[in-house]
Amino acid sequence: MSDTTYSGPQPLGQTQVQTDFRANPHTVRAYGDELNQLTAEVTRLGGMVESQVADAVSSVARRDVALARAVIEGDVRIDDLQREIERRAIRLIALRQPVAADLRRTVAALKLSLSLERTGDMAKGIAKRALVLAEGEPMLPLTRSIERMGKLVLSRLKDVLDAYTTANLDQAMNVWAHDDDVDEHYDALFRELLTYMMGDPRTINGCAHLLFMAKNLERIGDHATNLAEIIHYELTGEDVLADRPRRLAQDAQS
Amino acid sequence: MATDFHNAMRAAGSLTAPGDRGEASDATPIKASARGIVLWYGETQALFDVSLDIPDRAVTALIGPSGSGKSSFLRTLNRMNEVMPGVRTSGRVEIDGEDIYAPSVDPVLVRARVGMVFQRPNPFPKSIYDNVAYGARLHGLAKGRDALDTLVADALHAAGLWSEVAHRLHTPALALTDAQQQRLVIARALALQPEIILMDEPSSALDPVATARIEELIDELAQKVCIVIVTHSMAQAARVSHKTAFFHEGRLIEAASTEEIFTNPRDARTHDFITGRFG
Repeated sequence: MSDTTYSGPQPLGQTQVQTDFRANPHTVRAYGDELNQLTAEVTRLGGMVESQVADAVSSVARRDVALARAVIEGDVRIDDLQREIERRAIRLIALRQPVAADLRRTVAALKLSLSLERTGDMAKGIAKRALVLAEGEPMLPLTRSIERMGKLVLSRLKDVLDAYTTANLDQAMNVWAHDDDVDEHYDALFRELLTYMMGDPRTINGCAHLLFMAKNLERIGDHATNLAEIIHYELTGEDVLADRPRRLAQDAQS
Repeated sequence: MATDFHNAMRAAGSLTAPGDRGEASDATPIKASARGIVLWYGETQALFDVSLDIPDRAVTALIGPSGSGKSSFLRTLNRMNEVMPGVRTSGRVEIDGEDIYAPSVDPVLVRARVGMVFQRPNPFPKSIYDNVAYGARLHGLAKGRDALDTLVADALHAAGLWSEVAHRLHTPALALTDAQQQRLVIARALALQPEIILMDEPSSALDPVATARIEELIDELAQKVCIVIVTHSMAQAARVSHKTAFFHEGRLIEAASTEEIFTNPRDARTHDFITGRFG
């Protein structure tokens, strides 16, 4: 696989791309405040989603029914906040007609909040299956594998959200460039689960749930990559040009 | 043809204006190009080495704060600055590859090819008909009464004013509303069949409905001619133009397709201006 390193934004024309527009205040202060609030709300949503994913993953390994229930019930707050962000962004577009970096920031907030809301749904899905698994026999080695994969996915999610909060392009691109780690983990876990199911058909039910969890985690990893791409667009105005390493790998397989 | 040659040179990279990131569309040929324009009002320098390509059959918007040089630059495109005392200009302005400042060129003919519309409508204190026919008579564009009638009617149609004034062509132009007067002076410019129309804040004195009509008219006219518009309204530049050039303190800071400028300006000064962070 080709080595994907990101060398930072390319200089364009005679002047450097300026990425720190957020720091520069608006002549109309209320407008600047609204933009800052939008970013703050997305950051808050990110924090909520991050803890939902963390709780969902620990509820699996710890067979913690109460925690899993809390995750399932908590999802509605994420949906509410996502709708609130959407409402604010639409209002801002209608009343302020943002352009350039302000427009990108508004559109990015919309897209990020949607991606985060779906990530929240994945966490809820994991928590639901954790409830089912808690009723059966413990499958410790397997749930530990899920936990390890969960930690990896969570660190990607945390990094990309930090990158958003601090407008750190390099950090976002670092997440973007390393999305194959999660996929490798998923493939290994998939093989591990198959081995179990073939060895003892009584584990099929539990393993099927674990397989869906692994799939959910893998998709959360994809969302983290997606978030990194949106942050790249917000900060530079450009799409991430190079293809994703994962897609190259898929093409090679098919 | 000079234009083809010009475009070929541009494609080869030898004629690209600095600060100008290209045209609204690659398919659009260049109608006019300015190179190294310097302009002085007496002891004050108003333009510093401005180079810009202006695409044909498209709208180019010049934006920037007051005193940034955008109107001064606009007036260099039809040698309008020369009529003001104490103005000195250097650099080249080519239309279809021909230098309009060459000694052999008659500035009156340049101004017939390059029409102009101002901020305040300025019809002559004559009838509607005579306002539109004025330039055509002066330049001998129509032979005979019928030809002139046709020319006046065509220009009024093109300016979207015909249905409102057809029944009163010989009444005073100054009796029209501001919005109608503005379209009348556009008709007057169109009667000379100009290749380029320069507009200096053409709708800043009009209400939103009249502004929308002018913008619709600009859109229609741009199918056939080259339009350059100076506007203080960022939203108007975004709505009507294909290419946008940002001026600041007498310099061209950045020019690119309007979409580029309004989604991803490259210069921090352009960004601060269009997003309302200036000053």
